[in-house]
Amino acid sequence: MASLRTTRRDSRLLRYLILGTWALVCLVPVAWFLSIGLRPRVEIITPRPIYWPTFSLDAWHMIWEDWPMARYLRNSVAAIFGSVLIDLVLAIPAAYSLARYQYRGRDDIAFYILSTRMMAPAIVAIPIFFLFRSLGLLDTVWALMIVYAAINLSLVTWIIRSYMLDIPKELEDAARTDGASDLRILWEVIVPAIRPGIITASVIAMIFAINEFLFTLLIASTPNAYTMSVALANFTGGSDGVIYNAIALVAFLAFLPVFLVVLLIQRHLSRGLTMGAVKG
Amino acid sequence: MARIELRNVEKRWGAVWGVRGVNLDIAEEEFVVFLGPSGCGKTTTMRMIAGLEEPSSGEILMDGENMNGVDARDRDVAMVFQGYALYPNMTVYENIRFPLRMRKVPRSQHDALVRRAAEMVQLTELLDRKPGALSGGQRQRAALARAIVRQPKVFLMDEPLSNLDAKLRQHMRVQIRHIQRDLRITTVYVTHDQIEAMTLADRIVVMRSAEIQQIGTPDEIYNDPANTFVAGFIGAPPMNLVEGGIEGGVFRAPGLEVPLPGRGDLGRVILGFRPEDCAVSMDGGELRGCVYGVEPTGDVTYLTLKAGERLIEIKADRQFRAPLDSPVQVALDPARLYLFDGETGRRIR
Repeated sequence: MASLRTTRRDSRLLRYLILGTWALVCLVPVAWFLSIGLRPRVEIITPRPIYWPTFSLDAWHMIWEDWPMARYLRNSVAAIFGSVLIDLVLAIPAAYSLARYQYRGRDDIAFYILSTRMMAPAIVAIPIFFLFRSLGLLDTVWALMIVYAAINLSLVTWIIRSYMLDIPKELEDAARTDGASDLRILWEVIVPAIRPGIITASVIAMIFAINEFLFTLLIASTPNAYTMSVALANFTGGSDGVIYNAIALVAFLAFLPVFLVVLLIQRHLSRGLTMGAVKG
Repeated sequence: MARIELRNVEKRWGAVWGVRGVNLDIAEEEFVVFLGPSGCGKTTTMRMIAGLEEPSSGEILMDGENMNGVDARDRDVAMVFQGYALYPNMTVYENIRFPLRMRKVPRSQHDALVRRAAEMVQLTELLDRKPGALSGGQRQRAALARAIVRQPKVFLMDEPLSNLDAKLRQHMRVQIRHIQRDLRITTVYVTHDQIEAMTLADRIVVMRSAEIQQIGTPDEIYNDPANTFVAGFIGAPPMNLVEGGIEGGVFRAPGLEVPLPGRGDLGRVILGFRPEDCAVSMDGGELRGCVYGVEPTGDVTYLTLKAGERLIEIKADRQFRAPLDSPVQVALDPARLYLFDGETGRRIR
């Protein structure tokens, strides 16, 4: 009995050890660039190792006072949340149609939607540039919103569709005999039932959007539409050279919102990531 | 309270028949049970009545009005599903209220109607709970309350008790029958459980391989089966069916000789008799065999007899005991014998 208890305790210790190591691997880079961001610039480029770094808010003051960082942050948040909203508005009905209605070519359409994700982004970069120029949307957050939404739409549609396929058909039949229209069924029965899937798809879309660089650089040419990811590039050139502590701090600030969102909804997210995997 | 008529209703998917040539009249306030094994077409027939499936051919009429092409939400039917199909994000109260909202019943009436329905299924205490926090029986009652809340023209119930344990099932059977009588709503009920069919139905529709085998009251189905399928499907244990021939007014099969006075010679027939229509006898009987199994259950003893290569089920007296392989004779009730055609399985009257 005692040996059984010991084995159990050992296995639990081992589990904590593995998880702790993994957490460390994930957190060290974050902690590292936070520590870089909160040090004076001179200390970062010194060749000698520093064991007790000096705390400094130089980079913090610099990014907020010398650069319109608040604006970049606002642009990022608007473009990201706006794009996710557009994705959900378009993807939910599309996914419902692909998951539930029978029509010719349905599976081909589903595959076509996913295949757009397989294309190298550079292929459409120039047409997109001309398209937005014709629409007069270059250098606007609206254009970023639309581009991010377009990039993620296929993925969001597929994730949501896989969750919808797991919803028992009986639930819709019940709602239909209860007198609900297709739209009411979608809104009142299906959407609440796949909430974990919607959250999962949104977070994934958010992560992709916040990391998007190529199209942002193409569309945004002034601080009017710069986002955090493009703002990072501003600290790499010019007469000041590479400003490492500012880059690290902006990278940390770009990472923080998604991290907080994931932290807040992690219960739904972990359920959501596995819910679509196994048919009930 | 609608009258339902099915006129030569058929459903097929390519070469596969779901339902074939179904003709049926269901009277107002009648309780009709579709009974049959899995895949016999009973649920498909119900779904066509609900409007969840469109018939490939034929007509479905409610109160004389053709329902073909009418959407499920416009048919004024309420359905209870095998898996309950409660909306997981809503409380029991919201689940029951859902049909009222969808059918635009004035908001001021909602609360009273929901509470009345919950009361009928004894669920008033659990209105604030979500379906995930309910037991199987409670979920079943919530689904029932959702169906009765708006007093539809027709109730459709698709194996609603199949996920419950035996004791709860018996309790719910009584409750369902009671509610149907109170509300006087035409009800169509699908099951593969013959006890449910026998206890609930005004009439039973026995189905097999997409076709109706027999329509009748429980007594008619039990006492006057139309073919070997119905005879073998109803009753627990089911009717014994012994293949043999009639010669000189006597049915003969290995271990069995039954006088059938007045019957002409027939080469291949099936003799049917129910386990309860036999009596173990010490001083002679038509059936001779040896004891293969004895199963005392308290109120009755099930005796399995081996006659020739065939096993015969007998309901013996509850005190009956006999060693295995001992010889036994069984007398059959001559008034309760059934003859079926050996080829088609149809009843020979």
